[in-house]
Amino acid sequence: MKIRRSVPGFTIAVCVLLGGLLAAFTVGRYPVGLGDLVNVLAKVLGHRTDVSPAVESVVLQVRGPRVVAAMLVGAALALAGTAFQGLFRNPLVSPDILGASSGAALGAVVGIYLSLGVLAIQAIAFGGGLIAVAAVYVIGSAVRSRDPILVLVLTGVVVGALFGAGVGLVKYLADPYNQLPAMTFWLLGSLSAIATADLIPLFGPIAVGAIVLIALRWRMNVMSLPEEEARALGVATGPLRIAIVAAATLVTSASVAASGIIGWVGLVVPHLARSLVGPDFARLLPAAAILGGGYLLLIDTVARTMAQVEIPLGILTAVIGTPFFIWLLASMQKTWS
Amino acid sequence: MWLNRRTLLRSLATALLLADRAHAATVVDSAGRSVSVPTRVERVFPAGPPAAILLYTLAPDLLLGWPRANRPQECVYMLPDICNRPDVGRITGRGNTANLETVLALKPDLIVDVGATNETFVSLAARAQDQTGIPYALLDGRFVALTAAYQKLGQLTGRQAAAQELADYTSRTLTAIIGRIADVGAEQRPRVYYARGPRGLVTGLGGSINVETIELIARNVAGDTPGGLANVSMEQVLLWNPDVVITIDLEFADTVRSDPAWASVKAVRDNRVHLSPKMPFGWVDFPPSVNRLIGLWWLAKILYPERFAEDLRVLTRDFYARFYHVTPTDAQIDQVLAGRD
Amino acid sequence: MLEGQGLTIGYPDRVVGVGLDVRLAKGEVLALLGPNGGGKTTLLKTLLGLLLPKAGEVRLDGRALSSHSVRERARHIAYVPQTHVATFAFPVEAVVLMGRTAHGNLFRRPTAKDREVAAAALAHLGIAPLAERPYTMISGGERQLVLLARALAQEPQFIVLDEPTASLDFGNQGKVMREIRALAASGHGVLFTTHDPNHALRAADRAFLLRGGEQLAEGPVKEVLTQERLETLYGARVHKVADASEIAFLPG
Repeated sequence: MKIRRSVPGFTIAVCVLLGGLLAAFTVGRYPVGLGDLVNVLAKVLGHRTDVSPAVESVVLQVRGPRVVAAMLVGAALALAGTAFQGLFRNPLVSPDILGASSGAALGAVVGIYLSLGVLAIQAIAFGGGLIAVAAVYVIGSAVRSRDPILVLVLTGVVVGALFGAGVGLVKYLADPYNQLPAMTFWLLGSLSAIATADLIPLFGPIAVGAIVLIALRWRMNVMSLPEEEARALGVATGPLRIAIVAAATLVTSASVAASGIIGWVGLVVPHLARSLVGPDFARLLPAAAILGGGYLLLIDTVARTMAQVEIPLGILTAVIGTPFFIWLLASMQKTWS
Repeated sequence: MWLNRRTLLRSLATALLLADRAHAATVVDSAGRSVSVPTRVERVFPAGPPAAILLYTLAPDLLLGWPRANRPQECVYMLPDICNRPDVGRITGRGNTANLETVLALKPDLIVDVGATNETFVSLAARAQDQTGIPYALLDGRFVALTAAYQKLGQLTGRQAAAQELADYTSRTLTAIIGRIADVGAEQRPRVYYARGPRGLVTGLGGSINVETIELIARNVAGDTPGGLANVSMEQVLLWNPDVVITIDLEFADTVRSDPAWASVKAVRDNRVHLSPKMPFGWVDFPPSVNRLIGLWWLAKILYPERFAEDLRVLTRDFYARFYHVTPTDAQIDQVLAGRD
Repeated sequence: MLEGQGLTIGYPDRVVGVGLDVRLAKGEVLALLGPNGGGKTTLLKTLLGLLLPKAGEVRLDGRALSSHSVRERARHIAYVPQTHVATFAFPVEAVVLMGRTAHGNLFRRPTAKDREVAAAALAHLGIAPLAERPYTMISGGERQLVLLARALAQEPQFIVLDEPTASLDFGNQGKVMREIRALAASGHGVLFTTHDPNHALRAADRAFLLRGGEQLAEGPVKEVLTQERLETLYGARVHKVADASEIAFLPG
């Protein structure tokens, strides 16, 4: 496998990330020019420069954490989507397939309903996502079947639907003046309320899950083969599957807990990455992570700049992702069978 | 012959109504609908929280129940037996939780709804009236329409005298406050940001019901865009750089002064972040009803301290006695003004 | 030696075959014949260790197969499935490199040695030029050869092929059969299932006839593959064509 062949692909991915970074810091409702950015950077490094506290606040307190969060969430969703597409042997799979998003959503709306603090809501959302997938896994494993993957998917659909109904119930009972708008905003996905304090609970689980997934990337090629072939090649599919699902769920739950439900990233970015570096998971996973970070950065910049009000990220990713996906379907058919 | 539920309900309802009450007055509600009310109205069903509050202030004994059960802390500031009346759900508007059969079982003489009076709500009112056979009156819920709303409610419930008193108080207050700042041009009025949500990044856009009282006497920084509630980014708030921040959220009020992101906002630097009282009902926002009247005094004093020297505690005690029918102690007033539960 | 004695094979909910004795020695080719649904694939999977026998034991070089880890098994026995439609268009060399999985640990990336072995496997089968083509864009016969190369990359002692000629054209069938003989000649033990007795005749040393889960016959191929036996096996008429040196069977 010639490394050289994937260099242009990786270069493009890195350029998207860097472009996203630049745009994220310089574009926004509050005018921050390139010069301001340089000044703030210089001040951080200890030089004395003339920069207004408002600009400094915008760059370091407002955009800074938001940029980091967007990169983390984008990378996390892209990694989870790529891993699941391999694990479930289906390029149309997204990280929500096992119900992590529905579980996190239920946790979050319950937290909002009980008027808990922000960090408590995030914690419950995170727990909800993990519990949902654990339930899916336990139920799925209890059902004896020759196709464990299919059973997992179906169980995920069912459990996801159940938790979704729970979300509907909580929304119904919520106070329409106060809680319901909060729930609606949360469910549509947004990074508007990210503060520096949110970054640690976000970074921890995502780092752990991402490291596991990236370490296992060589095995993922084999995991994308039919079960028996994979085992015949010497891979312990059962434990490996648990590890991949656990890692992907960790990163997905952490992302959803912090940012609400942002769809289409875990579905579209793996395909974009595949068109850049090919289907080998060893290169695909890192490329997807880089590209995912840049992708969400660019979209988030649009979300907070286009109008005076925040456009929910989930809406933008759907609006951008759907036609993109249709285009991908049409032009890249030869990438799959 | 198909005897469907609707017909059955309707006939039962009509039968019940015709049983012993004579229809007397016809009142025209705020949407222009003619509503026939019985001579004696003894049981009134509020269709939503604003109606419940309005009704409580005018004729608490007629109130069948509350759209949402009141919390014990709130009952400290209301007539206890009225406050504890049951949870009956809400009919139209956002989130319809009342079972129409439950409504009928309560045998109300009248349903009152206070809020929007546009086409949608008119047709919803007509439909509810058809289905239950109970007269359904729609009143304008806008803050500036309060005086007229009280007068109509007085006609509907046969409490014209009491209604007129409350209407007079309302119009006096409005005239006094608005009049006193009449000479302050639009450009001199303070720029206010209304912060909701634990991070303070949810606000009311121009014309939204949440910021009615704010927009009456000041400038809403988010007022350029018309709409309802909206999520905004911290950047946008920094760009607006409001003079004053009004919030109803405890968590936000507690943390904003130490939050580095908010540090450069003018209102935070000048220490003009104010937590709105909310016992028993919010003073600024929800529910959007007469509870905001005392809030108007509070706002006026915050925004134009030199022009409004009245003692807020005296005003509060007076308002609570007239409208909520309780006279709070000094300690209770302190509690309320602190904005805590 | 890969052997199973007194095997009862099947799935958790049903038994497929009873009382089966199979032996595969290194350097030998064993052909497994039988009608559809007779248990050939089940037996194959049991010998590979993918299914546990319900009774009896499969032993590899004297040790029970189940006492080996999945990884160890893969270093000794390789599986060549029927070609299938792949989900992702991996390049051929990536597919063959997957055969080296059992030789590395969980996180290890392919080493230079791994790449050499994979390249050698491709060259051995004459498909080195296909190395960078996507797996999904080569012909069925080429795909079968790629899967065979992957098995070779495992550096196994035994190779088990499931109907290796099923989707191949006539020319490629011969090629694969020659390759099977070459594998045995180089010391591997080869087991393959087939629907064509003629392939068994040409490429195998021994044959195993399996019908309805029962072992009908087992032994040197020329002894076992007679017209009567085949007619019993398939429950249908079989036409025998013979000349001085060769026999062939045609459906009757």
